Amino acid sequence: MSRTKLMIVVVLAGIVALSFASGATAAKKKIKGQDVYKEFCKPCHEVDSDNGEYTPMSLIMDQWETFFEEDFEETHKELNDPNNDNTPVTDVLTEEEFEALAKWTIDHAADSEQPMTCG
Amino acid sequence: MRRTLVLLAVVSIASAVPVDAAKKKYSHEEYFEHYEGTKTCLTCHEDEAVTFFHSQHYQWTGETPAIVNADGEKLGKKNTINDFCTNPIPAWIGITKNSRGEILSQGCSKCHAGLGKMPSPELSREQLENIDCLICHASGYNRNLYENEDGSLEWKPILWKNQAGLDSVSKRIGNPKRTSCLRCHSGSGGGPNYKRGDIEYELADTDRSYDVHMGTDGGDMACTDCHGGENHRMQGRGVDLMGSDSPERLRCDNGVCHDSEPHAKELINRHSARVDCTVCHIPTFAKADATDMIRDWSTPAYNEAKDKHVATITMAKDVVPEIGWYNGTVWAQLPGVPITTQSDGVVGMVIPQGSLTDPESKLFAFKVHRGRMPVLTEDRWLLPINVEEFFADGDIDGAVREAAHVLYGLEDIDYEWVDVKRYMGIYHGVQPAETALRCLDCHGPDGRLDWAGLGYETDPLAAVLAPSH
Repeated sequence: MSRTKLMIVVVLAGIVALSFASGATAAKKKIKGQDVYKEFCKPCHEVDSDNGEYTPMSLIMDQWETFFEEDFEETHKELNDPNNDNTPVTDVLTEEEFEALAKWTIDHAADSEQPMTCG
Repeated sequence: MRRTLVLLAVVSIASAVPVDAAKKKYSHEEYFEHYEGTKTCLTCHEDEAVTFFHSQHYQWTGETPAIVNADGEKLGKKNTINDFCTNPIPAWIGITKNSRGEILSQGCSKCHAGLGKMPSPELSREQLENIDCLICHASGYNRNLYENEDGSLEWKPILWKNQAGLDSVSKRIGNPKRTSCLRCHSGSGGGPNYKRGDIEYELADTDRSYDVHMGTDGGDMACTDCHGGENHRMQGRGVDLMGSDSPERLRCDNGVCHDSEPHAKELINRHSARVDCTVCHIPTFAKADATDMIRDWSTPAYNEAKDKHVATITMAKDVVPEIGWYNGTVWAQLPGVPITTQSDGVVGMVIPQGSLTDPESKLFAFKVHRGRMPVLTEDRWLLPINVEEFFADGDIDGAVREAAHVLYGLEDIDYEWVDVKRYMGIYHGVQPAETALRCLDCHGPDGRLDWAGLGYETDPLAAVLAPSH
């Protein structure tokens, strides 16, 4: 098999795998980003927090994208979650929860059509 | 790594923002580094700010060529009384909370294109710096009411603590988008589409079956395509608005978009001489959100879910407009003069002028808003209401007395309640030809027009078809 064909097969397999994963996620109970925020983020980032107050409308969409893509791991890697058996903060969320949190936050950023606090 | 891949997909789908969004350039990217309030805009746009200062959108008053009893006075929502929230002066700015500590309202200045100071007729640097250019011109700009250290209240960007974010948003300058206009023009009066009836949030992203002009599969027109004007003077004025930004009437059939005989059939074109487009092409309004048709301030109600005191409001959806003659002018019930009762015993807040025998008149479509308002027992002056205080405590008597003091300087008043009505032009939600009214919708035994009320002896078609003697 040529190198090009091999790459095509790998990409197609990836797409199929992602489709199954997506279907499986949809079948599960829908996770709300707002609920994730309230449970995992708000305890450390509420009003007047020493860690800084953050709600979706604290940042614009571009900034949230950069945060989730690049900064989250770096800024939270040495922190543990006291509300979840001191699990490292970077491990406390499932992928689905992380995904829901990111979508909700970006959808309600300061420059979105519906900026929100955590509600 | 897996998390990053999933996230990348989420980010690109959820926000519909190109992957290289962070690199994109906005219209004002090169003009300044940091946004430091309106003074940043004034550096280059002071002349434009001065034109805006004089406009209706800032002054909330304007020239009154269309008000037959204005006597040359500048009028607007600032110095008249309406049957929705009555008058903005007693409740200009403030944070009103319910018993649960939730914010009920933030004052009428929420929909003023300023940062919180009352507009003054006297031009000053302070007034220019009070203009909130971004509320109309910056895509993605949002604001909220904050208390300053000195206790004063100010409308600020919600990004005021995030300079980098604010710098980004403040550089996205352009003509106002639909959502910028609809933020106030749909949301006024207490909720979505409460006031106007035909200016719904639906217009932000709709199709031609809802509005043939603004539907993205139709004309895909923005608000500014019709209403944009020079020097911040908007084109077009709602029938019940007191001030005019532009002396010319905005018309559909002035030859710019449509001429006076726009139909293929001559029979329909003959109607155009006396029937405005709106009569046939807007069969109903409030198609997506119900609109406030009756607001009775004399009968306070309580919204338990919101823990908020409100007027008794009758909402309606898919409302058939009332049809009446209109020659472009109106008579208005002004404050400080005795009320005038119409033949039906109701006080006319705004009454279109015109008649069958007036060659300048055409039939137009109207929302007729009704209500119950306070008037001074002796002098018969219409009274405003301090609605913000009422929302929290439900004391309508106190709200009337407080507002009478603020607007008229009156104490210890005696007042009573009267029925009122207001005619409001219906211009949006225009239907394409295939869903416009047909002949028998108006003519014939079940027609929607009140021919006698319009001055006809009978249905004109019936008169033509009647056997001659």
